[in-house]
Amino acid sequence: MNREVVKLIDTTKCTACRGCQVACKQWNELPGFRTKNRGSYQNPPDLQWNTWTLIRFQEHVNEKGDFKWIFRKDGCMHCTDAACVKVCPSGALYYTEYGTVGIHHERCIGCKECITACPFDTPRYDATTDKIYKCDLCIGRLKANQSPACVLSCPTGALTIGAKDAMIRKAYARVKELGGDANVYGDKFVDGTHVIYVLDEKPAVYEKLPLKPSVPLSIIVWKDLLKPLSLLAAGGVIAGSFLHYIIHGPKLPDEDQNQKGGE
Amino acid sequence: MRKGLIQATDAFERIVHWSLAISCLILCITGLGMMFQSLNFIGTLMGGLKSLKYVHNFTGVFFAVTLYFTIRMWWREAGVFSMPEDLEWMKVAGGYVWHVDKVPEVGKYNPGQKAFFLAVVGCGVIMVVTGLIMWFPLRFPAGLVRWMFVLHALGFVTIFAFFFVHLYLGTIGSPGSLPAMLSGWVSRAWLKKQHPKWLAEMEHEGKLVVYGEEKDLTGHGHHTA
Repeated sequence: MNREVVKLIDTTKCTACRGCQVACKQWNELPGFRTKNRGSYQNPPDLQWNTWTLIRFQEHVNEKGDFKWIFRKDGCMHCTDAACVKVCPSGALYYTEYGTVGIHHERCIGCKECITACPFDTPRYDATTDKIYKCDLCIGRLKANQSPACVLSCPTGALTIGAKDAMIRKAYARVKELGGDANVYGDKFVDGTHVIYVLDEKPAVYEKLPLKPSVPLSIIVWKDLLKPLSLLAAGGVIAGSFLHYIIHGPKLPDEDQNQKGGE
Repeated sequence: MRKGLIQATDAFERIVHWSLAISCLILCITGLGMMFQSLNFIGTLMGGLKSLKYVHNFTGVFFAVTLYFTIRMWWREAGVFSMPEDLEWMKVAGGYVWHVDKVPEVGKYNPGQKAFFLAVVGCGVIMVVTGLIMWFPLRFPAGLVRWMFVLHALGFVTIFAFFFVHLYLGTIGSPGSLPAMLSGWVSRAWLKKQHPKWLAEMEHEGKLVVYGEEKDLTGHGHHTA
């Protein structure tokens, strides 16, 4: 049975109440840090090791000069082809049975490779525990057939979760309903994310939303090319040395030296 | 020590060589433990993969210091090619691959050894620089750090392969070589075969340290001009 899930974030229904932000902290027992007024409701200013989801507030003026407030819930996109899982040396980051990216904190060694790798700039590092933190889509709740805390808290229906295919269909139906520049974001790259957006505006409008997220080329060169090559090259050298020894033979000192000083 | 053996390396050279070799080996093993999840168990021997990370990082610092001494100590002898004899030697691959009646005579280190030295130096510097950036990745742009991992892996591919070449040619591939890095004393026959030009030069300049010969005990191996 395919248990792959997708969480749909319909930004057009979001009122930025930040109930999801609070529910996430509550369920995952994450502390809050004192912040200060920076002239925006977006608070804290960015994702933190203790803030796994965040509503981004953005003031947008379109070509016609109309003002609009854009809200986008940011957090882990749960890629199918996840760069973080690809680079994680310890298996701390892993694919769950739901297709999401989970994290075994006891295995994390704090190398921060995932921070560098993530095309969405999601994982955050805590120096105190020397570990990485990010949304795990409430894996414990999923296992108990419960919705993630953020979805449960959402009062407007902007957040919903369900079987992957059904949710993608739902997203496209909503986009058709909305018309205009509305679009689905997430199903087309990194083999499909398990968190997808219905966006009202073109993706380029949204701050900190990559247009073409992918596993970085450097990681493909590193993991798919150089990693196997390291063993192949060493194996080739060992085999070559053996063949050299049995075919050409070692380089021996000549026997009859005038002085019997050495061998 | 036997009478007639010739000193090829001094104690300082051997200490630096083995410091570099052992730290390099520890770095390779711990690095493999992080590069391949199937080799994570190497970390268990060190009290967990996190400890392995620290062993790797701090061995890297030791490696960097040793690499500095290695370069300072051997650059003049092994870091620069001396033409045209090195080129002649390369044309026949030093007689290592096919039969050569007369291998061109080269200095203390042959071009193969020089190439190995330069690979270790070049890749070693790359490993130290990229490794330091990878140690503190949040202080640098992600786009830069991503390629540091690639360079670090590329350096490993080279060093790991060269390690086995070195291991073979330092032992069974060229019998008589190993003592040069163990006791430092080698046989005259081996020197005649491997480094005839150096032997002739040292003899000519009267700098050769031969075991059991009175006159050389004062100089004790510091054969730097």
